[in-house]
Amino acid sequence: MPGSLSTLKVLCAALALLFVVAHPAAAQLSFKPTAEAVQEDKLLNALKEGDKITGRVSIPDKMSSSLIQPAGRDWRDFQRSTLPIIGGVAIIGMLAVLAIFLMVRGRIRIEGGFSGKTILRFASFERFIHWLTASCFIILALSGLNISFGRMLILPLFGPEAFSTMSGYGKWAHNYLAFPFMFGLVAMFLIWIKDNIPGKLDLQWIKQGGGILANGKHPPAKRFNAGQKGIFWIVIIGGVLMSLSGWYLLFPYIPGDVTTLQIWTVIHAVIAMLFIAAMLAHIYIGSVGMEGAFDAMGTGEVDLNWAKEHHALWVEEEQAKGQAPSGTAPRGVPAE
Amino acid sequence: MKVFLAALAFAAVVAVGTAIFLGGIQQQSSSAFSTSGARVGDPGNNLMVPG
Repeated sequence: MPGSLSTLKVLCAALALLFVVAHPAAAQLSFKPTAEAVQEDKLLNALKEGDKITGRVSIPDKMSSSLIQPAGRDWRDFQRSTLPIIGGVAIIGMLAVLAIFLMVRGRIRIEGGFSGKTILRFASFERFIHWLTASCFIILALSGLNISFGRMLILPLFGPEAFSTMSGYGKWAHNYLAFPFMFGLVAMFLIWIKDNIPGKLDLQWIKQGGGILANGKHPPAKRFNAGQKGIFWIVIIGGVLMSLSGWYLLFPYIPGDVTTLQIWTVIHAVIAMLFIAAMLAHIYIGSVGMEGAFDAMGTGEVDLNWAKEHHALWVEEEQAKGQAPSGTAPRGVPAE
Repeated sequence: MKVFLAALAFAAVVAVGTAIFLGGIQQQSSSAFSTSGARVGDPGNNLMVPG
C-alpha cells in the first residue's frame, strides 16, 4: 500500500511537470506580477482615509500588526515634497530677508557711541543656561536637517560611506543632546518668565517697530522688549512642541499606532523648520545685526549707552537699585 | 568663554549620562519583543555602519 501511494505521488508530480512544460502560459497565469499589482493598487485605492489592513501578531509589539496603511503614502509624499518646500521657504527665505535687511538698514549702531561704562545684563548662570540650550539647539538643528535633507543635499557631495558615518553619529547626537536641551528649556522658562510677561508697553514697542527701522527712535522697554519676549515665547512653545513630539520619536511604542507616530513626525519636522528660521533671526540681531548686542551673552555686561537706548526703563530700575552706573554716559570718542 | 565651555561640558555630560542610563534600562528589540512562541531576529550592530 505505501509503495502504491509513493508511486501515485511520483505520477502526479510527473503529470504536473508535464503540464507546466506543455502549457507555460497557463502555468504562469497565476503568478503574473503585473496583474497582481494592479489588483493590489485597486485595493489600496479603495481603502479610505484611516483604513488599514491589519493582521494578528503574537509578539508584544502590537504596532507590527499594521500590514498596509495607505495613509503612509501621504506621509511619505509629505516628507519628500511638502516638507522641503516648507523648510526651503522658512530657512532660505529667512536668510534672504536678513541679508536684504542688512543691506538696506545696515548694522544698528549705538547712536550715542560706546560710553566706556558697562552694566550687568546677564549673570553667569543665565549665560550658562543660554549657551547650554543654544549649543544643543545648533547640533540638533544641523543633525535634524541632515535627517530631512541629507540624502538630497549631502549624500551626492560626500558619497555614501562618509554620509552614512556622519548620519550615524548625527543621529546619536540628535537623540541624546535632546535631553540637555530640554533641561535648558525648563531652566530658561523658570529664570526668565518673570521678565517676559506681555504688557501694554510691548504694544507701544511694536507700534514703533522696535526702533530698529529708523535711527533715533527707541521705544522704552524694561529688561526685555517685545521682540525679545517674542523670541522667548517662540523658544518655550516651540521647544515644548519639539520636546513632546521628539519624545514620541525617541520612544515610538508610546503613541500606540503608526498613524499617531506619523502625525508626531510631521509636527516635529514642521515646527523644526519654523523654529530654525526664527532662531536665525535671533542669532542675526544678537550678533552682526546690532552693535553691542553680543556682549550681553558674551561677557554678560553691555555698554551703558546700548542699554539706555534699548532698555531705558530697565536701566532706570537698575540705577535705582544701585546696580548700574548713574549719570549721563559720555559719548565715545572715535579713534583716530 | 568659561561659561560657554562649561555649558558645552555640561551638555556632553548630560547626553552621555542619558545614553548610559537609557542603555541600562532598555532591552534590545530582539529580546523585548520575543515570546515563547515568536522569536525576533537579532539585528546585530548598527546597520548603517559595519560593526
